[in-house]
Amino acid sequence: MRLLFAAFSVAVLVGMAIPVQAHHSFSAVYDGNKPVTLRGKVSKLGWSNPHAHIYVDVVNQKGETVTWEVESASATNLLRAGIRKEDFIGTEVIVKGFLAKDGTPTVNASSFTLVELKKEYTSDEAAPGAR
Amino acid sequence: MKRMVILAGVCLALVVHAAAWAQTRPDFSGTWKFNQAKSSPNIAGNTPIVPFPSQLVVKQTPTELQVDGTSVRQQPTSAVFKLDGSKVTIKAPSGITETGEAKLEGANLVITSRRSFTSPLGETIVDFKEIWTLNGNALTIEKTRTESGDSATEKAVFDRM
Repeated sequence: MRLLFAAFSVAVLVGMAIPVQAHHSFSAVYDGNKPVTLRGKVSKLGWSNPHAHIYVDVVNQKGETVTWEVESASATNLLRAGIRKEDFIGTEVIVKGFLAKDGTPTVNASSFTLVELKKEYTSDEAAPGAR
Repeated sequence: MKRMVILAGVCLALVVHAAAWAQTRPDFSGTWKFNQAKSSPNIAGNTPIVPFPSQLVVKQTPTELQVDGTSVRQQPTSAVFKLDGSKVTIKAPSGITETGEAKLEGANLVITSRRSFTSPLGETIVDFKEIWTLNGNALTIEKTRTESGDSATEKAVFDRM
């Protein structure tokens, strides 16, 4: 019984920790002084809340293909904007965003364009003041 | 007598020229606070298309312009531009190299800058062009960000404090 209670407690704590890790502050992870633009093909999609994650294969200056993780708005917000999960797979995308502070191929998207579908999404996240 | 008249004429011409120059030469000095309501909607929040500072402190002399920008949750920036358009180094956060030029063009101030840093893409270069216009106690900055052949322009309005 005690073991069962301990296992349940651990499960609850882990469950609580996942959303905390997923919804972080922008400035903790991204560098607002490093804007980047990516162009590549979507290879994978994490269709979730509070952020959808788009994985994009981008060819770098050395000619190597690097998979970037693009943090976008929530799946709910994307749906409201008329963008569906099916729109992403294998499509070419242009992403404008800010580079992760740790230098990994990760960006927080200000906007993205699904090239073939000619659909554009711009983050409308409001905050009191500019950057 | 004739010499006196010529001398007076030259002096008058110089005074008129200096007055006209002073009138057309805008002074951007002051502390300026970002006005979200009067600015483009896409520049507020965590992920603006074109980033702007929340507050600017500008000190202008006949030859130089010092611009200190502070932003919510971001490191401050500082630059001292020569108003003759010569290239200067902008004080940037660690890992970023930035140079820029400023020049008065009529009633506007035009600042161009180039920021470079390393990313998984390779050497990343972002060009910015800002056109500053004064309108009473409001400063409008139209800023264009260009990178990898792609550009975006947004407008921000700052109120004098």
